[in-house]
Amino acid sequence: MATHHAVNGTLPPEPEKATLEGRNKVLGFWLFLGGECVLFGSLFATFIALRDQVNGGPTASELFQMPVVALATFILLTSSLTSVLGILAMHRNKVGQMQAWFAITVLLGLAFLGLEIYEFVEYYHHGHMLTSSAFGSAFYTLVGFHGGHVLFGVLWIALLIAQSFKKGLTLVTAPKFYVASLYWHFVDLVWVFIFTVVYLMGMVE
Amino acid sequence: MHSEAHTSTSQRKPVHRHAGAKNHLITFAVSIILTAIAFIAVASESVDRNTLVPLLLILAFVQALFQLYVWMHMDQKGHGFAALGMFSGTLVALVTIIAFVLWVWW
Amino acid sequence: MSGQVTYAGRKGLWDWLTTVDHKKIGILYLIAGGIFFLLGGLEAILIRIQLMYPNYDFVGGSTFNELITMHGTTMIFLAAMPIIFALMNAVVPLQIGARDVAYPFINALGFWLFFFGGLLLNLSWFLGGAPDAGWTAYPPLSSGHDFSDQGVDFYVIGLQIAGIGTWIGGINFLATIVNMRAPGMTYMRMPLFTWATFVTSLLILFAFPAITVSLVLLMFDRLFGANFFDVNAGGNVIIWQHLFWVFGHPEVYILILPAFGIISEVVSTFAKKRLFGYSAMVFATVLIGFLGFMVWAHHMFTVGMGPIANALFGVATMLIAVPTGIKIFNWLFTMWGGQIRFTTANLFATGFIPTFVMGGTTGVMLSVPPADYQYHDSYFVVAHFHYVIVGGLVFGLFAGLYYWWPKMFGKKLNETLGKWNFWLFFIGFHLTFFPQHFLGLMGMPRRVYTYQADTGLDLGNFISTIGAFGMGLGTIVLLINIIVSIRKGEPAGADPWDGRTLEWAIPSPAPEYNFAQTPLVRGLDALWTEKMSGNGKMLPAEPLGEIHMPSPSVLPIIMSIGLFIAGFGFMYHNIPVIIGGMAITFICMIIRSLVDDHGYHVKPKELEDGEKGVKA
Repeated sequence: MATHHAVNGTLPPEPEKATLEGRNKVLGFWLFLGGECVLFGSLFATFIALRDQVNGGPTASELFQMPVVALATFILLTSSLTSVLGILAMHRNKVGQMQAWFAITVLLGLAFLGLEIYEFVEYYHHGHMLTSSAFGSAFYTLVGFHGGHVLFGVLWIALLIAQSFKKGLTLVTAPKFYVASLYWHFVDLVWVFIFTVVYLMGMVE
Repeated sequence: MHSEAHTSTSQRKPVHRHAGAKNHLITFAVSIILTAIAFIAVASESVDRNTLVPLLLILAFVQALFQLYVWMHMDQKGHGFAALGMFSGTLVALVTIIAFVLWVWW
Repeated sequence: MSGQVTYAGRKGLWDWLTTVDHKKIGILYLIAGGIFFLLGGLEAILIRIQLMYPNYDFVGGSTFNELITMHGTTMIFLAAMPIIFALMNAVVPLQIGARDVAYPFINALGFWLFFFGGLLLNLSWFLGGAPDAGWTAYPPLSSGHDFSDQGVDFYVIGLQIAGIGTWIGGINFLATIVNMRAPGMTYMRMPLFTWATFVTSLLILFAFPAITVSLVLLMFDRLFGANFFDVNAGGNVIIWQHLFWVFGHPEVYILILPAFGIISEVVSTFAKKRLFGYSAMVFATVLIGFLGFMVWAHHMFTVGMGPIANALFGVATMLIAVPTGIKIFNWLFTMWGGQIRFTTANLFATGFIPTFVMGGTTGVMLSVPPADYQYHDSYFVVAHFHYVIVGGLVFGLFAGLYYWWPKMFGKKLNETLGKWNFWLFFIGFHLTFFPQHFLGLMGMPRRVYTYQADTGLDLGNFISTIGAFGMGLGTIVLLINIIVSIRKGEPAGADPWDGRTLEWAIPSPAPEYNFAQTPLVRGLDALWTEKMSGNGKMLPAEPLGEIHMPSPSVLPIIMSIGLFIAGFGFMYHNIPVIIGGMAITFICMIIRSLVDDHGYHVKPKELEDGEKGVKA
């Protein structure tokens, strides 16, 4: 690519789609997310099949506390908004704003992870473990896979912010931010189904 | 690919539909409201279980579509394969989930 | 263009370890897949020798279990899929007029992940015994340490690593076909092999996550004490069967669709006719891909899902016979009235048709649930799936190898040896598997290491083993053919078969940039269109100019080695090794993100010749 020299101010309005590499990246990433739907779908299916198999341990309605889940949900939802605001800033070619919005996204992601760890420790003390029952195995695998995605996203976006200070916003870095933001929205989408299927439907019974 | 690849950018129309953050903020508000309805419906314990579960699922799917189409820009042009990927993936996932609900325990 | 380096002088082992050129990656896939094919074939021969005589004591029961497990796993994941990927890499970008694939780096990473996953799986032979729970690894046989040894850990980790490689390879082909087609190459002008690759890649995209999850569940059960399949703690073993076949059934279409594509190309080229019913063929390919996702539970008729589920999945399965039948008839009509040349490639394609029909017919028989209660887990099933996978896929791969070998290596394979290859393999195949239908109907169960004398099974098994030797001989002839071709094969030239599609418009082997000028496609069978209505050469869609290429990279192999090391850490519960291995992989990812690949520019040969005043 002879486009690394593109300086701020000369970028096209949608820099992520301006090069073939960028368009390839965005297309491939959408397809990746399509595959991820099946990945999480399989985990959801497993969880739904095993959610009542508590093996004498605590049930979902005994374990889950609405305030923690609601707070985690609000945090992740807000982080999804901040990441799209970051992309908006990118489209306006405002590097500083973009970095700020993504930095907030990372911080919110970290807060979410902190809550999740707190929550898992609580459950552990109530005897709800990966090894305690089939429900425990399915719960920690599904929610843990999502948490792993959040962690990866946090590290990834942090790395992108770091390199944007040196490289600025170019036709190479813009698609990276764009797909990272897609990833982050997807992680939030999965959480919508986790709080619905795992937590709320778990609290119903 | 080609050293001239970037010149093709000039031929692309500078379509810029979301000039402002308005739609994104509306989606945020919608997501918060839908989420709040879901949480309140469960917390109030006033909704019958047979109504509650479908209600929760509908709320989740509506929120998901909002986020897909606004935050993830699937409403914009050139997202045919994005839609193919997401909806095919969701279809496979749903078929799997339905099979698990029906035929794992019986 | 400051700081551009030309890599024209690259050669040797280092070049192969770092290449991101899809044609070289294709050759790597072919070599690695070929070695695993020989290994899987050797395991098959040992299985057949064990079953040659009743109560025979050749390898014994527990080694037999390892052999059948590793034969199935190796052949499907480490031989068939990589050889398919070899042909896709070698051919698809050329068929659509692309200079490269969408993600050259990811493509290389996919290969190395597959390679190290396969290596890890096969190291189990030397590290405490191979997996022995069957290639389907049903729990509780596979999940508890009461029934299975550490071999299954190798299965879980090895397939996980190899599977990720295949998955990202599939995404690469999808993006390549969607975004990188030459001007004029519309979807309905794509050659059938490219279409098959497209649909296959979609199936890979949506099927492999299911096996990823099933392997994760099994891994957690085996290594971390989870309870997915432990009935005592509320687990359920049926979950594995569903998830495995949600992946496993699309997988068989992932295997067979590329073969359909190859056969379509070969039959049409050697009949000198346009493929009959092109759009129906495309439609059938897409429909088979879709239906492939809706029928997985026909592997589970005897589980006890009930008559409604069985009937639904049975009928859905029968439906697949319709698009498949469309394909069979279209191939026959393509040959009808054509100027047929029976080259080795076309012999395999022609042999494919009746053989695959036989496999398809037994498939429809198996889709009838009440009948399946009789056939289930018998040699009838073994005969069925070998007729579709060997008689279908492997014949297709052989056809494709003989057809595209000149394009990959610049030299033809020897046709006389090729015919020996075909007849030995074809006759050997039918000798091996035709009697197995009857062995199954007479009650011989699969996966059992021996049988009693005088139960009517002796003759069939003996013939079957003789046939296996025939297939082995056929494969040895292919190896000899390859050596002969490398030593003194005749140069093939650009278009040895009077081809129809774009790959035959460029030199053999293709230069690293594939097309000096991106071609302009003016019809289905792009090259043939020009042969009929032009001067036989593709029109350029752009002026000659410098071509940008991606730099080679050592990161893909190091990333894969990182996961390979971490895999051993997981198996032996060694946390420093896990962290070390994962760190290697993540550091490579960070480097990849931080260091921009500026690539380099090459001048096409035509351009250099032009500058010297020589006409290309």
